Amino acid sequence: MKRLIVLIATLCFGLIGTAGAQPAHEDFLGLPVPDGKVQKRTDDRLEIISSMTHDQVLAYYQEKLEGEKDIKVRDWSDQSYVEDDSNRPWHSITIDKEYKDGTNIVIVRDNWTWIIGTLILRYIGVFVVLLVLLVGMTVSGKIISSRVEKAKAKK
Amino acid sequence: MTSNEILDLLLGTLRTTGVWNFQFNIIVMWAIGCLFIWLAIAKKYEPLLLLPIGFGIFIVNFPLVPMMGYTDGHPHLLEFFYHYGLEWEIIPCVIFLGLGAMTDFGPLIANPKVLIIGAGAQLGVFITFTGTVLAGFTLKEAASVGIIGGADGPTTVYLTQHLAPQLLGANALAAYSYMAMVPLIQPPIMRMMTNSKERLIKMRQLRPVSRQEKILFPLITAGIIALLVPSVIPLMGMFMLGNLMKESGVVARLSDSAQGALMNTVTIFLGISVGATMHADKFLSWKPLFIFGLGLVDFAVCTIGGIITVKIMNLFLKEKINPLIGAAGVSAVPMAARVVQMEGIKYDKTNHMLMHAVGPNLAGVIGSAAAAGMFIAMFD
Repeated sequence: MKRLIVLIATLCFGLIGTAGAQPAHEDFLGLPVPDGKVQKRTDDRLEIISSMTHDQVLAYYQEKLEGEKDIKVRDWSDQSYVEDDSNRPWHSITIDKEYKDGTNIVIVRDNWTWIIGTLILRYIGVFVVLLVLLVGMTVSGKIISSRVEKAKAKK
Repeated sequence: MTSNEILDLLLGTLRTTGVWNFQFNIIVMWAIGCLFIWLAIAKKYEPLLLLPIGFGIFIVNFPLVPMMGYTDGHPHLLEFFYHYGLEWEIIPCVIFLGLGAMTDFGPLIANPKVLIIGAGAQLGVFITFTGTVLAGFTLKEAASVGIIGGADGPTTVYLTQHLAPQLLGANALAAYSYMAMVPLIQPPIMRMMTNSKERLIKMRQLRPVSRQEKILFPLITAGIIALLVPSVIPLMGMFMLGNLMKESGVVARLSDSAQGALMNTVTIFLGISVGATMHADKFLSWKPLFIFGLGLVDFAVCTIGGIITVKIMNLFLKEKINPLIGAAGVSAVPMAARVVQMEGIKYDKTNHMLMHAVGPNLAGVIGSAAAAGMFIAMFD
């Protein structure tokens, strides 16, 4: 009986202990996933830590996505960002450049939050551009108008 | 010669004709091409563009015609125009050079706050983007469809060629068709969005604008656009160069050429090249029809956006702006401004708003270019 209890307890702890270290799934949202430790997995997001370096992970995805259209790779100071500009189920792959016990990789589903958010920002951006132009024109208009009036007054 | 040899000869000759290689779907494209030719000639809807576009559609939709594509590595006639004019994005920029040389920015310089109307009128561009993505288009395609509402042909062609060249024909056709239909589309929206009191608002006459201001304006605008939205400087830079040539007064020959012979020549190449992209095999799908439908919604929402922008501005202004001029924020120059004038005098024959409406009309050109720049930056 005691042995049975110890065995069951060992099994339970073993299951709990390995829960955070599930083997990586082969595919997430139609995208191949390198081997690594899954940190978080939901329907919309997958975070894994891979033993590959940043350059190796980037090369992995560049090979897997070779020939695919509308894929943009952005090289930022602290991470590389692979973005889908078409209508694939996944939106982006973020690959951290810092190697802390592995390379952190985050794959995110295509989502309306990003689309609406970026649209609102860009619509505001149009206003910003024209506001700056308004300020420029107002200032230059006042300067030139006053000079023209002074010149007329002198005449 | 034996009878078999004669038959082979005849058959071989027949096989090189369009009749032998006929496909029934090209009849639809002939009808579409002829429709646009009819709209251009009979209804005078944007004839400078719809006529060559319509003819381009018609002529390229015959079997075996060497108009588009390549043979032995050599481009055919319209492929040549398309490749060097549109794929290299030269034609829209040269058209903007001519437009700049034709444009008087005085009403905009005299009242620069109407620039905000030009920004507000881009609302439809972004809303249409969302609707297009929902319909299953890619993000780049959605951006190229959205810009139709900016009512600016060269900007639409420029952005579409940059992001989704496969949609060039449909987008350009939608943009130019709706630009021609501004007098039909806008008035009901203007009446719906304004009340009788607002329509009667009279605005003060615009101040005179000095020559120095008109010369400085293209430099300031080009500089600000180059700093904030560099991706559209090929378009806006040429626009401002054309305007500078006009306002400087010292290069009249160049200005005349830009707005005359050069612009007319390039317009021919633009129209026929755009039309030539619309072969039955590529065009006959649900996407062009959807683009046409959504383009109308885009236009309408842009008009609404401009009018709402004026109403919001009036909450903060002592001297109110007549909301009707918000409709001119759609950059169909000068048609939208004329529509505002015609609507205004319906309610008060002494309320002439044409010059007031030209300001937001021109602001819309800059606004739609800025919106295009935002989309290009999104994907670059």
